[in-house]
Amino acid sequence: MRTAVLKFPGTTCEEDVVKALRLVKAEAEVVKFNSFDPDRYQGVVIPGGFSFGDYLRAGTIAANSEAMKGVREMADQGKLVLGICNGFQILVESGILKGALLPNLKLRFITKWTYVRVSRKDTPFTRGIKDVLLMPIAHAEGRYYLEDEEEARELAVFQYSNPSGLVVEEVNPNGSVQNVAGIANQAGNVIGLMPHPERASFSKLTPDGSTDGLEILRVFGK
Amino acid sequence: MMLTLSSKEMELVRSTLDREPNEAEWKVVDALWSEHCSYKSSKTFLRSLPTTGQGVIMSVEDWQDAGAVDVGDGWALVLKVESHNHPSAVDPYNGAATGVGGILRDIISKGARPIALLDMIRVGGLDAKGKWLLKNIIAGIASYGNSVGVPVVGGELSFDPTYTDNPLVDVACVGVVKASEIVPSVVRTPGLKLVLVGFTGLDGIGGASFASRKLSGMDEIGAVQIADPFAGKILIDATLEVRGKVEAMKDLGGGGLAVAVTEMANGLGARVQLEMVPLRVKGMSPEEIIISETQERMLFAVKSENVQEVCRAFEDYNYPCEVIGEIVSEPRITFTYEGKVVVDLPSQLLLSPPLFVWPMNRKVRTEEVKEVSVREALSTILLHPDLGNKEWAYSQFDYEVGVSTLVKPGQADSAVIELPNGRQIAVKGDANQDLCEVDAYECGKAIVAEAFRNLASVGARGIAAVDHLQFGDPRKPEVYQDFVDSIRGISEAAKFFSVPIVGGKVSFHNEDKNGNPIKPTPLIVMAGLVEGKYLKPRVEEGWLVLLGITRNELRGTLFSRLFGGRGEVARARLMEDLLASELIIKAINESKLTWNKDINKGGLAGSLLPILASGHAVHINTKAVIGTRDPLSILFSESGGRFLVLTDDPQWFHIQASRKGIVASTIGKVTKGKASLFLDDVELPLEREVERYLNMLEEELS
Repeated sequence: MRTAVLKFPGTTCEEDVVKALRLVKAEAEVVKFNSFDPDRYQGVVIPGGFSFGDYLRAGTIAANSEAMKGVREMADQGKLVLGICNGFQILVESGILKGALLPNLKLRFITKWTYVRVSRKDTPFTRGIKDVLLMPIAHAEGRYYLEDEEEARELAVFQYSNPSGLVVEEVNPNGSVQNVAGIANQAGNVIGLMPHPERASFSKLTPDGSTDGLEILRVFGK
Repeated sequence: MMLTLSSKEMELVRSTLDREPNEAEWKVVDALWSEHCSYKSSKTFLRSLPTTGQGVIMSVEDWQDAGAVDVGDGWALVLKVESHNHPSAVDPYNGAATGVGGILRDIISKGARPIALLDMIRVGGLDAKGKWLLKNIIAGIASYGNSVGVPVVGGELSFDPTYTDNPLVDVACVGVVKASEIVPSVVRTPGLKLVLVGFTGLDGIGGASFASRKLSGMDEIGAVQIADPFAGKILIDATLEVRGKVEAMKDLGGGGLAVAVTEMANGLGARVQLEMVPLRVKGMSPEEIIISETQERMLFAVKSENVQEVCRAFEDYNYPCEVIGEIVSEPRITFTYEGKVVVDLPSQLLLSPPLFVWPMNRKVRTEEVKEVSVREALSTILLHPDLGNKEWAYSQFDYEVGVSTLVKPGQADSAVIELPNGRQIAVKGDANQDLCEVDAYECGKAIVAEAFRNLASVGARGIAAVDHLQFGDPRKPEVYQDFVDSIRGISEAAKFFSVPIVGGKVSFHNEDKNGNPIKPTPLIVMAGLVEGKYLKPRVEEGWLVLLGITRNELRGTLFSRLFGGRGEVARARLMEDLLASELIIKAINESKLTWNKDINKGGLAGSLLPILASGHAVHINTKAVIGTRDPLSILFSESGGRFLVLTDDPQWFHIQASRKGIVASTIGKVTKGKASLFLDDVELPLEREVERYLNMLEEELS
């Protein structure tokens, strides 16, 4: 699949995402925010980093950019949209995904390997996927919030869990409602998540040799 | 006007010029001749360091720039270390953050892509002030490093009252570049345009002088630079985009434009029109523009025909980029403002400050000895924050970005990073203020040896190092003696291990508010190439083998910091360090061990903490420890040349060690179970200590 990996000023993970996407044979390339043509791509990934320095609020300046209008078009056309970390923040700031990402309860940046349970398998990203994935988080503002907790649970695609897939409060790293690590839109073609699948795509980099991130990215190789 | 020039230096300037310089000229001379920029009190001795050797592509030129070594397939590794001690004492968040920004620009100014950062931090303790400093220092480093997408992969954290008023914040960076694409920092031909990128503001006025005197205790906030990591990220991305189109680059650090222009001209001349400098605030005076140390700026020397293309990359991000002058053949540095000459000084005068060799005197060391039982010493040492788990700190860093951190913070004594050519390097920074305080020469050797061992513990052999020499006021004979002694030690060990010192920095005037110098704290950052396999250590049940001789050496150790010295000074034994390191690398390649650690802070006892904290008990037969019968030395001696190894094949180590001519002894075993140390079958429960080890920083600092 022809996949754009969007680079805003301050994006830091674009090359990492391209490297992982190439493992699943996606036709991926880095596209600068000011030269993005949505019609040229079937899929788009908004990688992690600190777009526009995260000044004002994480993701908010990028959310109001011309490039995000293009992403919204793609989302509306049913094309695949994946926001990772800052990309997830940009997706909620732009209203393409519901809710908000607040500062972690500990009020500091946290890097940590986390298990997430896959709670929805009705999306192109999670169809037929394993039940529990191991991926690292690295963020200061990842506490997912949505006033209607029931809706949050319905939208949730990934929830922080223990290694056997139980969603328990002790493993919630940032205070997200319902341990939400990632959500999708109703249609399932737009996903945002705080953990970094691209960092869980190379067995030599993961604590147990797994490559669970590839499970999510694989759809771009089709 | 606050100048650091001595009256003798001022006299020399006057007589060379044959006139009284104006105020702006004094400030330019003050910046260029500052200790920070000129190395006037250290250069004589720094020359004794081995700066060349096999694989060195670019070594230090007057200690200004980063060095580079060959790492195969045409790739070079660029390495640099720097401190931001004084700014961090006043404003720890911005001081530490700008330290990261500065070291990153040192790496990109060689055309290299930064791939990893290290931070070595020293504060007074976990009291209110220490906590304030540490929280802000870590947050500052995290804010900058994370924002620009360069992983902080390792470091050091130490708590010692000597740093109460004057914390040490050292940051190191490694970068990669094709050797053929390294960009020089000096020009060789006149006619090139000087292009400045980034805004100039009112922060960091006179920072180089600020770093070259002791902290005054007065309001010095104006000398601290403010960090703008987003601008830093743009600067990195755009600079690396245009690196092939520039003839020379230099980052603007200490001394601002004055120093960058003069050093880039390197004996040629330069004419700069200050009104062309893009300003962040209105109404800056020409002098302020010259010496401002605003961050996130770079100076390029560019051929006229390439100027447009270079600036276009920055304009893409709305980042200022202006031609501010040019390199000329007449060897004078001239700054004009709207046609009026502000500064006009000969290049040679600025580049040739008088060098100093200060009087030296070796201080008499006396140590008070406190009586202590083995049990009490064990508890106290295992509870010391220097040995504590550092997850609170490193979890604030985005150490996974770049998808190349193979051995991560907290997993081993060195980090391992994958290079673009598929090879792996290990990096580590080491200092030892306890040993340096009692014997700076032995300490100089020991920190090089420790770094070498730390790299070996993950399977790498040291190939290059940079040093950072942090001392008090060089005009004090005892301080200066320690400085000279430590260089002698570093130099000797670096030559022994064939690890060239390819760059470094000197930081003097680190004193407490009563004018007492900090304990001497030279620091080594070493990089090594993995030879074959690398080790991701993991604790499993197995036999404990101790490599090397445990000597009755408790002076200059963590133990002596707490209970006073006993026995001898903990010396480096370079040959034993080398042979033991080679054996460890061989064992890793033959999969003969699952875990190992070099013995350093806290001695054998300190090295047991990671084992005890992983759900295991340790059994030690003290009679099997070779070299001493003294119970305190067995547990806490920090004598060099030793590794503790966890293996299921102790015989292999015995045989290999005897072939190499070093000693190896099976001193005990590790079993699953609660955290206890069985010392000759007497159980010492250590659950409380281990619990504290795991959570101390989190509990104290959250």
